[in-house]
Amino acid sequence: MTTTATLSDPNVATTLAACAAPLLAFAAIFLGARRFARLSAGLSIGAVTVSLAGAVFLLAANWHAEAPQVFSASWLVSDAVRIPVGVLLDPISLLMMTVVAVICFLVQIYSLGYMAGDPGFSRYYGFMSLFAWAMLSLTLSSSLFQLYVFWELVGLSSYLLIGFWYEKFSASQAGKKAFVMTRAGDVAFMLGLFVLLVGAGTLDVTAVNGPAAARMNPSLITLSALLIFGGIVGKSAQFPLLTWLPDAMEGPTPVSALLHSATMVAAGVFLFARLFPFFRQSPAAMGVFLVIGTVSMLLSSTMAMVSRDIKQVWAYSTISQLGFMIMGLAAGSFFAGVFHLTTHAGFKALLFLCSGVVIHALDTNDMFEIARKKGRRLKLAMICMTLAAAALAGIPPLSGFFSKESILAALAALDNPIWLAAALLGVLLTAYYAFRLIFIILFPRPELVQPESGRGHGSGHGAGTAMGSALVVLAAATLALGFAAAPLARFLSGDPAAAHPGPHLPWLPYAGIGLAAGGLLLAWFEFGRPAADQKGFVERVPALAALFANRWYIDVFYARLISRLVDRGLAWLCAKTDQRVIDAGLDAASKHIIRSSGVLSALQSGMIQHRLLVLFAVVVMLGLYFIA
Amino acid sequence: MPTVYADIPILSAILLICLGGLFLILATPRKEAARIKKISAVSSGLTLAAAVYLFFAYDRGVGGLQFAEKISWIPSLGISYFNAVDGFSLPMLLLTGIVFFTGILTMWELTERVKEFFALVFLLVLGVYGLFMSLDLFFIFVWYDVSLFPMYLLIAVWGSTRKEYGAMKLTLYLLAGSALILPALLYLVVASGLDTFDLLQLMDPGTFTPAQQRFAFVLFYIGFGILAGVWPFHTWSPVGHVAAPTAVSMIHAGVLMKIGAFGVLRVGIFLCPEGWKYWAELMGLLATVGIVYGVLAGLRQTDLKYVIGYSSVSHMGIVGLGLATVTVDGLNGAVYQMFAHGIMTALFFSSVGYIYDKTHTKAIAELGGLSKTMPKASAYFIIAALTGVGVPCLASFWGELVVFISSFRVYPLYGTLAVGALAVGALFILRVVQKTCYGPENAKWAHLPDVSFGLAIPRMILVSVIVLFGLFPSLLFDMIRTASIPFMAGLP
Amino acid sequence: MIVPYSHVLALAGIVFLMGMVCTVTRRNLIMILLGLEIMLNAGALALVGASLRWMSMDGQAMALFIIVVAAAEVSVGLALIVCVYRRTGSVDPNFTETAAPEKPSV
Repeated sequence: MTTTATLSDPNVATTLAACAAPLLAFAAIFLGARRFARLSAGLSIGAVTVSLAGAVFLLAANWHAEAPQVFSASWLVSDAVRIPVGVLLDPISLLMMTVVAVICFLVQIYSLGYMAGDPGFSRYYGFMSLFAWAMLSLTLSSSLFQLYVFWELVGLSSYLLIGFWYEKFSASQAGKKAFVMTRAGDVAFMLGLFVLLVGAGTLDVTAVNGPAAARMNPSLITLSALLIFGGIVGKSAQFPLLTWLPDAMEGPTPVSALLHSATMVAAGVFLFARLFPFFRQSPAAMGVFLVIGTVSMLLSSTMAMVSRDIKQVWAYSTISQLGFMIMGLAAGSFFAGVFHLTTHAGFKALLFLCSGVVIHALDTNDMFEIARKKGRRLKLAMICMTLAAAALAGIPPLSGFFSKESILAALAALDNPIWLAAALLGVLLTAYYAFRLIFIILFPRPELVQPESGRGHGSGHGAGTAMGSALVVLAAATLALGFAAAPLARFLSGDPAAAHPGPHLPWLPYAGIGLAAGGLLLAWFEFGRPAADQKGFVERVPALAALFANRWYIDVFYARLISRLVDRGLAWLCAKTDQRVIDAGLDAASKHIIRSSGVLSALQSGMIQHRLLVLFAVVVMLGLYFIA
Repeated sequence: MPTVYADIPILSAILLICLGGLFLILATPRKEAARIKKISAVSSGLTLAAAVYLFFAYDRGVGGLQFAEKISWIPSLGISYFNAVDGFSLPMLLLTGIVFFTGILTMWELTERVKEFFALVFLLVLGVYGLFMSLDLFFIFVWYDVSLFPMYLLIAVWGSTRKEYGAMKLTLYLLAGSALILPALLYLVVASGLDTFDLLQLMDPGTFTPAQQRFAFVLFYIGFGILAGVWPFHTWSPVGHVAAPTAVSMIHAGVLMKIGAFGVLRVGIFLCPEGWKYWAELMGLLATVGIVYGVLAGLRQTDLKYVIGYSSVSHMGIVGLGLATVTVDGLNGAVYQMFAHGIMTALFFSSVGYIYDKTHTKAIAELGGLSKTMPKASAYFIIAALTGVGVPCLASFWGELVVFISSFRVYPLYGTLAVGALAVGALFILRVVQKTCYGPENAKWAHLPDVSFGLAIPRMILVSVIVLFGLFPSLLFDMIRTASIPFMAGLP
Repeated sequence: MIVPYSHVLALAGIVFLMGMVCTVTRRNLIMILLGLEIMLNAGALALVGASLRWMSMDGQAMALFIIVVAAAEVSVGLALIVCVYRRTGSVDPNFTETAAPEKPSV
């Protein structure tokens, strides 16, 4: 049951204000405030503060709400096509909105320090506001078309922010790649929406999750679920569209923290959770989702094991954790996926922000280089990063442990044990690659450490106040959020028991902890202990290392596909058709017309005697004709 | 459909302003270029104001034809001067006004043969305005040809890059189209036996047999379709756009291509609905091929304007697909897309025109790093590109969306292909943006000035229109609905 | 009438043919003009013969007309030829030919 609200309802008014404030900030920055860096930042942060206050108010006000609230107006009415615009306040949207607003706020505060002095400072805050607007509106959308609109807009802001330093070829390339790859997924998403619209007759979220889809033909449900999942695959960088996310690390680090780990890429999982009741009607589609989540999770874990770039490692781990969430959801546990989304947003944003401090101070992304420049001296950042890495690895009592545990529990409930086995393997690998990075930075091999004279620039200053405070808040969240499982479960599904889905297996938490500890110990053995040569077991097999480092050659495949099939194949064919067939055909036709007109014009040569001859001949002929 | 006659002939006033501007320009001495430009700006601004007034004064509750004016001209042949506007033509009038005004402002720095240029542009736009408001077949044909012939001179004299070839190709193509339209018009007028060129009388159901309609519709579709860039009759469009000077490209791609689509709608579909339904599937096929083909061929282009030319082919394919669905939604989406595409290409060409004016090159490979040198110029270019990619909350998204939905319902395969072309379209346009605007600062262009405030005005107008209709698409959809719903309901 | 009319007609026809051949084949404007005169005279001859055959004055009146017209024509024609000769230095009709098709540009 839903309640329909009006514009004057305090909930709706707060929601609209929370969404509109960043849009106004965006407009103000690009219309006038661009030249004044501090004003732009002030506008943007002020707007996101409004959003944050609104989100917290809404969450508090609706913590015990009975039914979702809907406010709907019409955006566009054509005839059969009606596109409504509205607000849907239910637990998942409120939770996501709060997560987005909190991370947006913290990252914007953090950026005050990180982006200081950048020539594009105002532009940065403008795009950040655009993103905040689009992302908040996405979470609150009441119909799928509206969701699609904002889905594309967060893609746009991602494109603009990845390519923020557009002078760098790699940055603009990565922005383009991100946009085109997610667009490829969105094509499927749009088609899925069309199928759904044709089948169910509406795209209203509550209707699709409820009665409307029940009328649909089951095969149409599967088809549209699979197509919509295409959008999720693109946005959440799942297999096979996963390679844009590591490249997207070309953007400023706060952007990676906000868009490419905590919120935007999680929008895919959010959509899954949003349409969870609908997707669940198609067991076949859920099976496919489970496979894709698992494959992405494992593939990206292997890639993370060989990368030397700290941001890339976290990017791969983002893909892998998103894969976990999708596995949890696809296994049938709504709570597990959403809970992991929430905790992941906290610790992954923390990881990126810590990496940002390190990169800002030492001016390099390479973990060995950071170790050489004594990255461990940046104490606050290193403590927070270790904490977050432990949460990522699933070490109790940090938030990641609890959420991962509920996913494992959900997988254990499945008939086929292979999914649980894969997930446990994933836990092992996650702990291994996360602590590989930490140990490499914390325990540099002594012969590589730069002599003291090379302290160079920046190693003195670590995180400023702005950057440090964001780290502390997120670290606190990472520590505390795990214990919020039961209240969250009650809020999300009305049942505190949802925190522990599936059969009660007493050995499961121990298995999870054991494997995480195993991964950690392996990393310690190879990278941490003083005698370690800091070479992973994967790197001892060159073929495997090359396979992982080249992302299983997925990028090579796409590059070939685009250059062979699209550029040199279809596009070449079309361009040549234009030149050689259509244009050449017309040119040939016009040449023939000119030539044949040349024959006729020979009669009009202007030679008086020819004309006379013709004249006489005609008269003679006529005479003969009339006589005969 | 009710017809409301006007107290004040505003429609004729628009034509008279164009004509008056034309004569004023002709009467101004050649040396006073600045005054000529002012006259042009004021006159075009007046027509824009009139178009905006009409757009908002039109009574959507009543619908039908409004602001009508009818004077019998040659009674023995049934030719009358009959102007009126409805929900289909008002967006087009508004589009013409905006593109005309911004086009004039864009050419503010023109120095070569200023007088002739503006005079010819006025003549061109006179024909365009006339065509959009006329409801008499004879006048529609006359206005059509009036708008074609200045094109040749405008491109051949003020153009660039193979301008004679482009001008000749364009003119021949479009005249071929008009050679198909005229016999079809005469055929229908004679076949009706009504001795009238009045569109309203001729479009009564039952005037023509289905066979007649099927025959005439083909001629109309190809004749007007050439101008709308229907595949495979599109090759004049990239060549012509490349050759034309900035304002002419703007008017041409922005408005003239819409004449083609509007002609298919107003003459072809209005007079021959049976033919329309009969050929709809084929129209859908051609349009889909155009959509896919345009983006693919665009991938291979190395010249900025060629790229836009091919993207126009693709975007006009969406208009064609909308028309081919034979549904209200399809019509709405098509007319909306005509409007949105007009504004978008005008912005595209005006920003490319600026880049070309300063750098004297349109070769994508030679450009790069423009965001550093001219941040504003490249910002306009990027906004136009994003509109072309179909980013929501920018105007053309809505037209595409509605057309895609309606075509997906009627022709699932075509709809799927057209949506799929979106991904390739994104690749192709973003690649151009990356190569021209991004990258390290190019020392060759470092000294060039950015868009001045005066030259930014037309571009800002276009951007704000794109955003306005992107955020509030219902402004336009509610208008188009007043025409499309009664029209489709009136079909047998 | 001593000579049968058919003989007169045959003679007129032969003279006409000679004039025609002269007009069409000669490459000299004066000779072309001469050919024209000969054809006119052939016509006049036929008319005079016919006037005798049917004893009617109409034919002779026509013949007189022809003579007058021919005289006027010769004077105008010769004047034109002189002009052409002054301008082009030739009396060859092909010299004055200018209407050759131009090479189209497409």
